Amino acid sequence: MTFSRRNFLKAGFLSSAVFIMNGCSLFGVTTPLQTLSLLHKDLFPYAQELGIQTAPYMQIIFHQSRISDADKTFLKNGVKWLNEAGIKKYKQEYIKLSSKQREALLERVTQTEWGDSFVYDVMNYMFEAMLGDPVYGGNNKEAGWQWLDFEGGQPRPQKAYM
Amino acid sequence: MVDVCIIGSGAGASPIAYELANAGFSVVVLEKGQNYTEKDFNKDEIAVTRRDMFTPPLWEQKHIINEYKADGTFTRYDGEKSDWSFWNGSMVGGSSNLMSGYFHRLKPNDFQLKSVYGAIKGANVVDWPISYEELEPYYDKVEKVVGVSGKIVKHKHLEPRSSADLPYPELQTNGAVQWFDRTCKALGYEAIPTPRAILSQNALGRDGCYYSNFCGSYGCASGAKGSGRAALLQKCSAKIITDAFVYRLESDDKKVTRAYYYTKNGIRHSVQAKIFVVAAQAIETSRLLLNSKNRYFPNGLANSSGEVGKNLIFSAGGSGSGRFVFEQLTPQQQKELMEVGVFFNRSLQDWYAYEKEKKQYKGGTIDFLFEHQNIISRVMREVYDENGNLLWGENLKEKLHKRLTTSRVLTFEVFNDWLPTDKCFVGVDEKVKDKYGVPVGVINLYGHPHDLEVGEHLAQKAVKVLEKLGCEEISYSISSAPPPNLVAGGCRFGNDAKTSVLDKNCKAHDLENLYVSDASFMPTGGSVPYTWSIYANSFRVADILKKELQKDEV
Repeated sequence: MTFSRRNFLKAGFLSSAVFIMNGCSLFGVTTPLQTLSLLHKDLFPYAQELGIQTAPYMQIIFHQSRISDADKTFLKNGVKWLNEAGIKKYKQEYIKLSSKQREALLERVTQTEWGDSFVYDVMNYMFEAMLGDPVYGGNNKEAGWQWLDFEGGQPRPQKAYM
Repeated sequence: MVDVCIIGSGAGASPIAYELANAGFSVVVLEKGQNYTEKDFNKDEIAVTRRDMFTPPLWEQKHIINEYKADGTFTRYDGEKSDWSFWNGSMVGGSSNLMSGYFHRLKPNDFQLKSVYGAIKGANVVDWPISYEELEPYYDKVEKVVGVSGKIVKHKHLEPRSSADLPYPELQTNGAVQWFDRTCKALGYEAIPTPRAILSQNALGRDGCYYSNFCGSYGCASGAKGSGRAALLQKCSAKIITDAFVYRLESDDKKVTRAYYYTKNGIRHSVQAKIFVVAAQAIETSRLLLNSKNRYFPNGLANSSGEVGKNLIFSAGGSGSGRFVFEQLTPQQQKELMEVGVFFNRSLQDWYAYEKEKKQYKGGTIDFLFEHQNIISRVMREVYDENGNLLWGENLKEKLHKRLTTSRVLTFEVFNDWLPTDKCFVGVDEKVKDKYGVPVGVINLYGHPHDLEVGEHLAQKAVKVLEKLGCEEISYSISSAPPPNLVAGGCRFGNDAKTSVLDKNCKAHDLENLYVSDASFMPTGGSVPYTWSIYANSFRVADILKKELQKDEV
């Protein structure tokens, strides 16, 4: 009997290079963190107004053994596709577009199957950061809960899970 | 050699461990998961319900699922690839730690479904080999030993009871419950306080409910919830071995001789006992017996009938909801509605049996409860607009704030019989193995059309209540989707060894010392959640085992 362990994605995943292609040629390089940080701001800027930083939580997600490699890879691919969609439409990566262009691009990609799934997944983890227990580093001073008049459950976790 | 070795530690296992250990017998419990105590439980939504910390990851342990159509063709799903989990709670006390504890008894006619309602084409309905009267003393025992709170009110389908009322008073309820009661009365329905396996006050050496705001799906930090661990295993001297995955039972032609288990590191151990009790939850119990085939039982242990794994059942029905909105309520009602922590706790059993177009139907139960407080899940249900487009930015912000702070969703769950059929059963896949190298279980699924017809009838009654209450956005879904936490059958009990796996005492017909005490024994499941009946039957089997072991001593 063998106990094969999964090869979990290594520590540098969030800051590792994502190669953005324009057709067959290399257009540029970004990192998942750069794009996801901006995407979080575009999708729910109010989190920042509440003093909640959601992007660092993605580091936990990419290290979470309970999230499958396939899901992590999909997020990374989504970053690549979103930037490539920006190049196709505006000749620039998502992270270099104006806010109006990014909004228009999001409108466009969320009409596609991959875009809808990708943005939904990004929001899912973003709201985990914003509305999960503060022990995970987001939801600063329970600001997300207070905004929604949410009391949380007792007892609260003493430490983040895994 | 110990007196009794129990495989599993949930609702089917813990009463036997409790009763026999307290009677002085040596008992070993083998549990695949870890042990947790009240101190370990918290309300971390991310860990408990989004990362499923209490169930095995599907890439380590999964099932193969074959979804059947009426014509006998099926679609195969790999549980890992399709993210379809049938695990419920891999821990000491099993899924009883995570239950909501909606406790309804079966009713006398549930024990004689075929005799009362007749055969149904395409379904393998049979009567139970025992009657309600034989199980009633054990339902009563569960009320007192595990602890059931609530208030018995007379209604047309109330089952006979030996105690006038439940031993513990009702849990506190939300003010909206009064609106519900008035509404039901106006409709001519009999609203019932839902009995709960939750102590409403300190008792039985456990703390009462502290209204944590998170109950179902979460472990209870006070011990108020009547899990097999809190109510029974922590109160007996049974030896509990955790991290023990039992993969095979060894036998000769008459007796089981040894249970083999792996630790998570792949180390193999075994236990010898006079009596073996399997209670690994229905699907895994059948899988273990099928994986334990040997020269005496080439088709699986205790399977001379070929019935092991057959007639798997779930709870049929579905769920629905409606939304109370502030615009329809007075300021006082708004305040009452938003009070969290306290329960809703109302059920309807008016249609447990009903007549439609001159035909008698076995109906079911409708439980009403507020939408779960999980905030991340509630938010994620709001991220699409009415046209199915994702929202973000200011539009999403406004929607979230309005929906979550000025409205609240009341949900209902319909429970009716999942008829046993030839197309719903457990097998094993010899080619697909789990992390231990053991063939995984194959879950073959089929929901009989009759189940949908009954579920639909009940859901429409629930909708009438929501409409009369003034709820908006009322919707429901009745389907053949199996609820993984409401599973039974696979080793049905009966008097005929050719058509059943177990005898009326839940002993395998084929073997002298093998018992099955989880929900596997149930030939039909009734129209209520199973846990109370599993507990009651396990206490009944414990009495039988006590007599067997005492005979042995003499």
